[in-house]
Amino acid sequence: MLSTDYSAARILAVEDDPLLASHLQAHLQDCGYSVTLSRDGSEGLQLAENEDFDLILMDILLPGTNGLDALQQLRQRRGVPVLLMSALGDEPNRIAGFSQGADDFLPKPFSLGELRVRVEAILRRVAYERREQLPRESGDALWFDEGRCDVALAGNWAGLTPSEYRVLELLWRHMDEALSKPFLYQQALRRGYAQHDRSLDMHVSHIRRKLQAIGYHAGRVETVWGRGYVLVQAGA
Amino acid sequence: MRFPGRHSLLWKLTAALALFCLLLVSLHVDLERLFIQATSRLPAATKAVLTDYAHEAEAAWREAGASGVDAFLARLGEREQVWAVVVDGQQRSLSSQPLDKDERVRLNFVRRLDWPVGRPGGRPTFFVPFSDGEARLVMGLPERLNPRKYLELWSLLLQRVLPATLAVLLGALLYRLLIAPLATLRRQANALHADDLSARAGNVARRRDELGELARAFDHMAERLQATVSLQRQLLRDLSHELRTPLSRLRVAGESGLDAEQLSQRVLKEVDGMQRLVADTLELAWLDTERPRLTAENVELAALWDVLAENVRFESGWSGERLRYQVQGDCRLHCNLNALAQALENVLRNAVRHSPAGGAVHLGGRREGACWHLWLSDEGGGVAEEQLEEIFLPFTRLDGSRPGDGGFGLGLSIARSAIAGQGGRIWAENGAPGLCVHFQLPAA
Repeated sequence: MLSTDYSAARILAVEDDPLLASHLQAHLQDCGYSVTLSRDGSEGLQLAENEDFDLILMDILLPGTNGLDALQQLRQRRGVPVLLMSALGDEPNRIAGFSQGADDFLPKPFSLGELRVRVEAILRRVAYERREQLPRESGDALWFDEGRCDVALAGNWAGLTPSEYRVLELLWRHMDEALSKPFLYQQALRRGYAQHDRSLDMHVSHIRRKLQAIGYHAGRVETVWGRGYVLVQAGA
Repeated sequence: MRFPGRHSLLWKLTAALALFCLLLVSLHVDLERLFIQATSRLPAATKAVLTDYAHEAEAAWREAGASGVDAFLARLGEREQVWAVVVDGQQRSLSSQPLDKDERVRLNFVRRLDWPVGRPGGRPTFFVPFSDGEARLVMGLPERLNPRKYLELWSLLLQRVLPATLAVLLGALLYRLLIAPLATLRRQANALHADDLSARAGNVARRRDELGELARAFDHMAERLQATVSLQRQLLRDLSHELRTPLSRLRVAGESGLDAEQLSQRVLKEVDGMQRLVADTLELAWLDTERPRLTAENVELAALWDVLAENVRFESGWSGERLRYQVQGDCRLHCNLNALAQALENVLRNAVRHSPAGGAVHLGGRREGACWHLWLSDEGGGVAEEQLEEIFLPFTRLDGSRPGDGGFGLGLSIARSAIAGQGGRIWAENGAPGLCVHFQLPAA
């Protein structure tokens, strides 16, 4: 399971619909976050300027601010991660202009479970970046070459692309732990996840083929249906 | 600047101008020459007048000798204000006045009546012999009888009026050439403005010059506009119709006293359906009206198939052997990954949904020139021949299933729009058995 050492995080939720806002607050507090609620875009940005938050959750089309410019400015000064919510739709190209300033984008309507996964993914990435890089274990025969962005088995290079390498390395570091798609996107592909985005799936498909081609059978990238991927050790 | 083509307006304009110049020059030169030629000899009436004078002079001379000639010359001078003398065969004056030196010289440059009158602007001198053939009347041509007395008027016509007339004609020609088609386009624009989206440029669009191009661009725009508007109207109509089903289910569920657990399940189920419906409709509207330029990349079909097949196995519980990849060779397409994946997935889901129990779905394909031809076939019942195109229209459900149960009939429409956006083609045929959906896609 996902570790929860970042769950004391402070979240600012900016949402003008009172019902949705109170559900958001209740749910996130249930998850152990400390949630500050703001009903108005400019007030929310003001809050974000003055206080320290670990994540800002914000509706794009809020009244009272032409959100995106203010958001960009805020991010330049504070570097706080932002998760945008919007009813504009989920096609990444359609919202490209809006999602520029954000770490992730969550199309409305969304389920609270989905929200939690996205929030965790971003907070976890931030925590990951702050932490010292873990020393690489060398328990199995797969050789990771950071500089070359590739893995080898008994001298045979798999020929991974840098993105594929990052995905595999991430899965391998968290052997036997299911990683959510939003987290893999955040961490390995450096962008938000959208429902119709198949890039990660394709990377995983390529990784599977390439590992099979060099005869690596000690571990297998498996799909956790509806959630993400996990690298499991064969026979485990 | 692009060099204008064979059918360019440039050539028409050039031709009109050249015609103008040629007409101007040739009309000017030719008409002037014609005029000069036509007036180069004395007309019969003038000859008769001069001959009459000669008869009168002869009669005067015969009757009264030198004094008669004097009287005649005085009369003649008064009437015609021209120089005139009567001389005998040796160029001696028959009047009482002998010829002076100038007059003698002048007698060397005289013409018979049937000779040309000489260069324009000159004052020719004619002689008319008496009946004895020796003596003769020599006189300048009176101005009133000069066949070229209208020469100046002619010059004015040729130098001023003719070019002006030609310029007006040329202007009218150019106006017809340029303005009439523009007026048609203006009428079309006004019609569009007045919401008559079926207005087209008609004949103007068949022209092969720049105006034709403009008209075709105009028609194209009108077509897009009409298609977009009618699609939007259709989508809106269908969408609100489709939303009624889950809404009425929710209403009934709300009123039927279900317990909280059942109600919550029902609500989530219907909301999922409505969410999918709205997302798909927006997707289709977006693909069709904005025609987005999606970045193309090289996509390995086999890897994509693995991804899609894995999803379908999860969703439908099919075993891997029933989803067969039979594409010959290493198929790499040049497409937008997500659009291609969505199209292929929609068609695949459709095939799975219409497969009989235990049926398999095949993806076949071969390279055809710069394209890959792929086909995805199922073993279901297929569709009627005349409905092969219809299934690509939004909200088409052939099996009469209720909204939400078997999809909304948007999957194939989205697939078609997504594939068209990649410069590809998608069409359906009946296989043996089942439906076979064909794709033509650019190869990497």
